[in-house]
Amino acid sequence: MRHLLLSLLAGLLMIGGSSFRNDRDVAIADGILINSQSLFRDDLARWAAAADRYLQVTEQWVTGHEKLEAVRAAHVHTRLAFKQVEIFVEYYDPYAVRRYINGAPLPSVDRSMPGINILEPEGLQILDELFFSDSPGDSPEDLLALVRTLHQQIQSTVNYQSGITFQHRHVMEACRLEAIRVFTLGLTGFDTPGSGMAIPEAEKAMQVLFRQLLTYRPLLAQKTPELVSELEKLSGRSAQFFTEQTVFEDFDRLNYLMEVTNPLLDLLSRMQSRLGIEFPDETPHLPGPLNHRAGNLFSPDILDASFYSRTVMDGGWDARVRLGKWLFYDPILSRDMNRSCASCHHPEKAFTDGLPRSMALDGYSHTLRNAPTLIHSVYAEHYFLDLREPFLDRQIKHVVMDEKEFATDFFTLANRLKESPEYNTAFAEAFPSPAGPRISQSSISQALAAYVGTLTGWNSPFDRFVRREGQELRDDARRGFNLFMGKAACGTCHFAPGFNGTVPPLYTETESEVLGIPSNRDTLHPIPDTDPGRWASQRPHDQAPFYYGSFKTVTVRNAALTAPYMHNGIYDTLEEVMDFYNRGGGQGLGMDIPYQTLPSDPLDLAPHEISDILAFLHSLTDTTGMTSRPKNLPRFPRQPEWDLRYAPNP
Amino acid sequence: MKKYVLLPLLFGAGIFGAYAQNDLFDETLQMPAGFQPVSVVLPPSPLQMQVLFIGGHDIVQTTPTYGNEAAMAIAKEWHDFIGFTPDTTGQFMGWVSVNHEMIYQDNRIGDGGGMTVFAVQRDPSSGQLVVAPQELADGRKGHFFNVDFVNTVGETGMNCGGITSMIDGRIWTAEEWFQGNNASINSGNFRAPSSSSWLPKSPGTVSNQGVRDTSDYTISSDIPGFDGLTVRKYENFNWMVEVDPRQARAIRKQYNWGRQGFEGGVIAADNRTVYLGIDGTPAPWVKFVADTPGDFTLGKTYVYKQDAINKWVEIDNTDPARMLNFLEEAMAVGATIFNRIEWVTLDPATGNVYMTETGSDNPVNGFTGGVNAGGVMANHHTQRALGKGLTGALDPGYRDYYGRVLKYDPVTEEVSVLIEGGPEYAASPDEANYPTNHFSNPDGIAAITIDGQSFLVLEEDLNGASYGRMPAGTVHIVCEVYLLNLSEENPTVDDLIRLSATPVGAEITGCVMTPDGKTLLMNSQHPNSNLEFPFNHSLTFAVHGFDQLTVTGLQGPTWENSSSFQIFPNPATRRVHMNKQTDVALYNESGQRVRVFRQVDQFDVYGLNPGTYYIQTLEGEVTKLIVQ
Repeated sequence: MRHLLLSLLAGLLMIGGSSFRNDRDVAIADGILINSQSLFRDDLARWAAAADRYLQVTEQWVTGHEKLEAVRAAHVHTRLAFKQVEIFVEYYDPYAVRRYINGAPLPSVDRSMPGINILEPEGLQILDELFFSDSPGDSPEDLLALVRTLHQQIQSTVNYQSGITFQHRHVMEACRLEAIRVFTLGLTGFDTPGSGMAIPEAEKAMQVLFRQLLTYRPLLAQKTPELVSELEKLSGRSAQFFTEQTVFEDFDRLNYLMEVTNPLLDLLSRMQSRLGIEFPDETPHLPGPLNHRAGNLFSPDILDASFYSRTVMDGGWDARVRLGKWLFYDPILSRDMNRSCASCHHPEKAFTDGLPRSMALDGYSHTLRNAPTLIHSVYAEHYFLDLREPFLDRQIKHVVMDEKEFATDFFTLANRLKESPEYNTAFAEAFPSPAGPRISQSSISQALAAYVGTLTGWNSPFDRFVRREGQELRDDARRGFNLFMGKAACGTCHFAPGFNGTVPPLYTETESEVLGIPSNRDTLHPIPDTDPGRWASQRPHDQAPFYYGSFKTVTVRNAALTAPYMHNGIYDTLEEVMDFYNRGGGQGLGMDIPYQTLPSDPLDLAPHEISDILAFLHSLTDTTGMTSRPKNLPRFPRQPEWDLRYAPNP
Repeated sequence: MKKYVLLPLLFGAGIFGAYAQNDLFDETLQMPAGFQPVSVVLPPSPLQMQVLFIGGHDIVQTTPTYGNEAAMAIAKEWHDFIGFTPDTTGQFMGWVSVNHEMIYQDNRIGDGGGMTVFAVQRDPSSGQLVVAPQELADGRKGHFFNVDFVNTVGETGMNCGGITSMIDGRIWTAEEWFQGNNASINSGNFRAPSSSSWLPKSPGTVSNQGVRDTSDYTISSDIPGFDGLTVRKYENFNWMVEVDPRQARAIRKQYNWGRQGFEGGVIAADNRTVYLGIDGTPAPWVKFVADTPGDFTLGKTYVYKQDAINKWVEIDNTDPARMLNFLEEAMAVGATIFNRIEWVTLDPATGNVYMTETGSDNPVNGFTGGVNAGGVMANHHTQRALGKGLTGALDPGYRDYYGRVLKYDPVTEEVSVLIEGGPEYAASPDEANYPTNHFSNPDGIAAITIDGQSFLVLEEDLNGASYGRMPAGTVHIVCEVYLLNLSEENPTVDDLIRLSATPVGAEITGCVMTPDGKTLLMNSQHPNSNLEFPFNHSLTFAVHGFDQLTVTGLQGPTWENSSSFQIFPNPATRRVHMNKQTDVALYNESGQRVRVFRQVDQFDVYGLNPGTYYIQTLEGEVTKLIVQ
């Protein structure tokens, strides 16, 4: 057998082919990459030099030989030098940037280790916060230690990344991610908590992006000359924004989105295709959720729902969604056949129930938390307000087994469903593979996940307006979007385009926040809510103190329909919610919330600004095609009493 | 290394200029009409996969637990360790034991982590494995059985690695859920969400909550010093636990091996010596030697001290206080400090022990704590740090991104590095010099024999994607499984052979070879991509055909010395090798571009449906590839 196999292999060695290539294009393309890469290497060297200077000035400040202003200037300079390399440094090593260089100024848990290993914040953001605080002089040695670590990390990143060889697709993807990063994070002030340098930093990042793209001018001129002028115009338009609008509060983010970011994404996708540069789905690596072929940040296909729901869109897909919808509305899934998913997730209310906390199965007590909207819920790394479940198709397990919800088990459910010929047929169609599964925990769960994964609303007035589909948007909603993404800082947690906690531009991680939500509405005598939130998710890595009272950042899409608000449903109106944020959350209300992640400073939003933001939130309503309930549910000929099952709305 | 010179068939050789490193490929294949490229066939892989046990889907038989009657339940998930126990009676081929690395409340199945066991037979006609029905002594009948911990030795938490004795297939499961106090088990905030048991339970209380119950635990054990001892609930977690896979019940928690964040271990051929891997930073390297072969209730426990003349220092295992605070005791005697030892294996051909040191990005705090408690840094960490211009492994700048595989020679009692993860460079190399393989954070390890030669199976469990652990531009963290020929001297990552017969994007954990050398049993733990059923579940699968593999068949080709383009598809590894490093585009039969590989001398066709493809290189050579 062994020899047979070997001789077989030897016969497979082959020599191939002929060349059918345009050598001239190849030479131009290579020149472009060499040029593009050397620009990046020069920028890396500048960044390293800025870090050297930052360390030196900080050391002198600690010994009293430099003023704080000089350190702040060196910090700002290092940040700007980072923004000049961010496009590639982030692309090639997003995890190192987050951990060591420009991560959130908050402690985190090392998820790669067993047990709780707390990682204190490092890098530019915590330094931004500390050096621009009122009293950086209180602990100069601590600050110096942070600068020293940052310096070391910048050195090793520069060393590592100077050697990386560019590929065309890297440049295209890095530009696309940077365009999204600048719009969704940079321009919102996400990573400049203290210095407030968001606009100049965004300007720098966009300059670099266009500079790198313009290195393709010779090849574009050769292959698709019309794109050259388009690119140049766009570059000029972007520069014009930053020349004319330099104040953070006044920057017109909506116009920038419509005149630069979206046209740029569209141009990039066409450019990549026409130049014959491969897309991520053509590489040997598994793709992420971001659709690199989409030409608009608010395109309905910008994020791949099946990435999150982990369902395969194969032959049985449509049947699976149909089956999932039946199951969603069918009280057969609950112990006494008097509750369905729709009992707490009414489609008319964007799949919420209008209650502070949902009615429990017993008909008088309540579930732990407020029922969140299911529209756009698929776009998350973890499910439930406490982030306890990483898989959408396992989310249903918690509901089925919770004594306050369905109070049953999958054995019982599978045995029930098997009694219905209609369900048997529907499962067979939904899971056509001979490998199964037939009616089981996993098929029930996957069908529901498939259905919930289709509950996306990308056709709100706001979406259609920014896609230029002929929709108008009221002036107050336009102003409201700019406030949301700017002064009011909503967009620094409710990230575009989902306006939820799934972090751009990779969209693979879901954040939770400690807001300090009270358990009463008396703003003079607030009482902290005692729900431990994420800390009690039962996931071992969540048992760090700073996850106490931390809840998933949910989407604000359809907020007009989803009252009452917050995990405990404490606020009946969006005005109350805005008032809570405007006061700086729980700490701002005067409560002792030790790990609050929301800044406690008031936002200083005037009443007309709040009403503008509400107008914007109202422009995010879309339940199109999602509100119809099935007319009939499958019948159980052998169990006629089951056909009387009915789930009243509470 | 054994090399077999393959003689290529020579065709007319075209000379092509290499223009540059990167190139553009059209979205549709440009080929003159009538041109007939040479075609190459990739035969089916000799390795075939078979799914045996699907977590969260298959049905397990349970014992009476927490007042529930013996019944059935849906199997737990998060499969990790896998063990194999041969059946000496000949009734079955043997029993498979699967760990569940989770903390899960379902009162019908027992709380915490746990284990599922089942018997297999080989179907003589198909060669496939069949899960055999059984009836156990406790009356349970079925195919899959939940191991009873609750009524035997107390609940277990996050069962990760374990031990299969090579002598008789005895099985131990390792508890990784390291808890330092009762509050982290149950702070009063855990509710019991399960409705399947109607026992009284009230939110905010700490009793009657299964694994989260914090009542004291009274040990019943045949290990001297522990029987009748009452410990705090958290202290009954984090032991090695022996189970009987034949009867699906636990036998004893190995209180005399110390309470530690266990991950793996191995039993030496003397049936007395046990080597144990501790997943922590600092981690000691631990050995237990039984007084009598096969009786692990009596013996001595040691920690490794590299800098001493007598390298193994005893810690009195008859003193429960010492066993309960094992890490502290180990450091106090100056134990050598490692960075997360995970699984341990032994090559029967040489008796050498191999263990994975998975590494961690920021080990310095852990190291410093260990040194302050009396421990001494392992030499290889100190050398590695000095080599980077640092002051030592306690230098704040010390990082251990990639980890490594260590070798322990029981004759010399020396620990050395077998293969470093990485490759690691001060500055990343040019793509042309970039190795094909990148090896980081090894976790599972098993010594197997292929074609008479010892190999290690190495399973990655990446700690992160930074610093080149994943290729640029990838979002998913994908963990690879590699084979390493143990006859390689000073192996590097280039010597690793990727085993591609595993689900893409799922973390592979655990591996054990059936005694006939035909089948490797493995677990797929948590799929991180949208795979089809059942690959979207934790599962136990068999890879058949290892007896068909040859050492040479696993190697890349040896090229005929010629400037002409040569190509070699390897059915065993599902890789297509070329005699140069270049860019390659793969087009489907209708000429649509489906894959682009940059600067490779080999590429992987796993995941592509069988069919006809066209390969176009940077220099323009076009070859037809028929994937069978």
